[in-house]
Amino acid sequence: MLNIGSFKTKTCSGIGRRSFLQMSGAIPFGLGMSGLGMATEDEVDHAIAKAKSVVFVFLWGAPSHLDTCDPKPDANSEFRGPFGVIPTKTPGVHFTELLPRLAQRSDKYTLIRSHIQSAPGHPDGGTVALSGFEENPKPVKPNFGSIIARQRGFRGKLPPFFSIANGVVMDGGRRIEAYGGGEMGAVYDPFMVGASETGEVNIPALALMDDVHPLRITDRRQLLQQLDSVPRTLEKSKFRDWNRTYQQAYGLITDPTARQAFDLTRESGKTRQRYGQSVFGQSALLARRLVEAEVPYIQLNYSRHVEAITPGFEFGWDTHLYNFSLLQDQHCPVFDRAFSAFLDDIYDRGLIDDTLIVCMGEFGRTPRINVRAARDHWPQCYFSMWAGAGLQTGRVIGESDKNGEHPITRPITPLMVGTTIAELAGVDSQARAEMRVLDGGRVIDELF
Amino acid sequence: MNCFKSLLLGLWCMTLQGAEPIQLTDDGRMKFTPVFVDGDLSLSYVDFENPKVFRLKSIDWKTREVRVIHEAAPAPEFDPAYSADGNYFSFLRATGGLQVSLVIRHRKSKEEVVIAPESGFSGYRTPAIAPDSSEMLFSFANNFGQDIFRVDMKGGGRTALTGAKGINVWPSYSPDGTKVLFTSTRDGNYELYEMKPDGSDIKRLTDSPYQDIRGQYSPDGKRIAFVSHRDGNAEIYLCNADGTNVRRITNHEERDDYPTWHPDGKHLVCVAEREGSHDLYLLTLGD
Repeated sequence: MLNIGSFKTKTCSGIGRRSFLQMSGAIPFGLGMSGLGMATEDEVDHAIAKAKSVVFVFLWGAPSHLDTCDPKPDANSEFRGPFGVIPTKTPGVHFTELLPRLAQRSDKYTLIRSHIQSAPGHPDGGTVALSGFEENPKPVKPNFGSIIARQRGFRGKLPPFFSIANGVVMDGGRRIEAYGGGEMGAVYDPFMVGASETGEVNIPALALMDDVHPLRITDRRQLLQQLDSVPRTLEKSKFRDWNRTYQQAYGLITDPTARQAFDLTRESGKTRQRYGQSVFGQSALLARRLVEAEVPYIQLNYSRHVEAITPGFEFGWDTHLYNFSLLQDQHCPVFDRAFSAFLDDIYDRGLIDDTLIVCMGEFGRTPRINVRAARDHWPQCYFSMWAGAGLQTGRVIGESDKNGEHPITRPITPLMVGTTIAELAGVDSQARAEMRVLDGGRVIDELF
Repeated sequence: MNCFKSLLLGLWCMTLQGAEPIQLTDDGRMKFTPVFVDGDLSLSYVDFENPKVFRLKSIDWKTREVRVIHEAAPAPEFDPAYSADGNYFSFLRATGGLQVSLVIRHRKSKEEVVIAPESGFSGYRTPAIAPDSSEMLFSFANNFGQDIFRVDMKGGGRTALTGAKGINVWPSYSPDGTKVLFTSTRDGNYELYEMKPDGSDIKRLTDSPYQDIRGQYSPDGKRIAFVSHRDGNAEIYLCNADGTNVRRITNHEERDDYPTWHPDGKHLVCVAEREGSHDLYLLTLGD
């Protein structure tokens, strides 16, 4: 780990404080500097996009659909779960009592209840969820965000694809293979940024020397010389990527406009409170700022890990044990508050028409309650929420059966999700064919 | 304090019909299960200290100083329970991937019994110790339900009490040890029930289409404080020990949760969410 600096930010109390940033071996998206193989704004012929920005809210670990957005109050006790149901703003549609805020905002999004996917585990399911294709056969297909970023290219000061989490999203020690560019190359990997529950932003690939303040950096060569003093133990290919990291970091730290996007202290206390004092809450607020900065694709991850109550891992949605208590005590209150605040903010600021929001996990959870009185993985049926980019809202697309085990309407696959996102983000069928991505994908017609 | 905050606190006070709530912590992090220890010498609780860790903490009631109970704890620890006679302390410790052990510690000798979970995803919840330290209860999931079990203080003699019907959790002894209050979904959703410590004579105390959970007897055993979602979000309610005379004592659009009785029976400590932050508050109850 290379600690090479910090710069001042304010805490939410307004007191100045050094914000210490550490560098990891992450390989972020290139800034489009020459020789990096990335198109610049001048070079890319931008397709017309309904969505200038896409926010993919990834509920990593897989929330239980029966205990959230697709309750089955009439099912028998082996399936139903213990939570009461409440009406939403959409006539005839109910959620469980765990999501009261989102229930009252159902007119702001469309709910899909008929997703299916093919992979039953987290890393493989995550790859399918984020790319539309399975891990094997290799090579791994690119993340939807990488496709958008490649098409849309370098825009302004910020990388075109961000992943918000305190590190690369993973299950146990294993990362999702489709976390980035896949077969398109690491140059299309996301730029990683994380936030603490008090709004301190951590950029893993960004760091400065201890005695260097970004405002004092005027000479790029000076910084290089300082960095040169650090022993180079990285192998060549990693150093090349690190060099790209450095170039990107240099661009971000020296440009006030770019740095402003990360500075949550610029938000009012009231706004930050609406999102809630949680990692996901402040991360959602960061996502909104990145939308305002016109970043084309933002993957907003609920947590870095899937595991719940496991030493060394962040608390994800993977509730094989204590499913009901974790949802009622922790996950649903955090999610309900933060995602509602995010939706409100995007709408109130007039951003909704130009922003596509998709919220989903990698799959659902077993409708039949397991031997541990909890729920396991269930790729056969799950839900998503869609808002913005001119889509109709206040509707439910698709339906699951009486126990929530299978869709009884046309199943919606991750490939369809990715294709729809791409289409709305300006990667039309011709562009997809030219890039050779999302082969065989169809849009979710019912959304339009 | 700004005008908006004053107004909210004022509304809260009107509901409580008592003195203004006293804020006990100000870090704003998520917190769970406060419990008084040794009368009111201290208050233990669980702090969601960072995205990876639940940490057991303690507030000195006189000085209001906060300390970590296990400084070197390598893993999440939560659900603290103490015996009223001061002899025992019990809590949960995550020991692996969705593996949670139950720890029973004698406070004077420091002797510890650790009840390991079963293989796979397995673990314990919500321990409660009898007032005279003769036995303890916990919730454990198996057989497609979550049962309340009784063990002796060495962890032996495990007996299921609640018949594996639904989720049975948050056991709480009456001050005289003759009854146990618990939460169960045996009739469909979360309601409060009481039973004898041997699991007999189970009676339902509440009836609401939404969660009624986390009940605790008052120090004199005559009332119960609990959390209910019956009015739209988590609020704190009181009722008589037989479940009658339910009345709401908090009223806020954000959560009020985890009530625990002060030994004087005139105050509660709860976890309240205010402006997106979670802190401990001392509530004064009206007459």
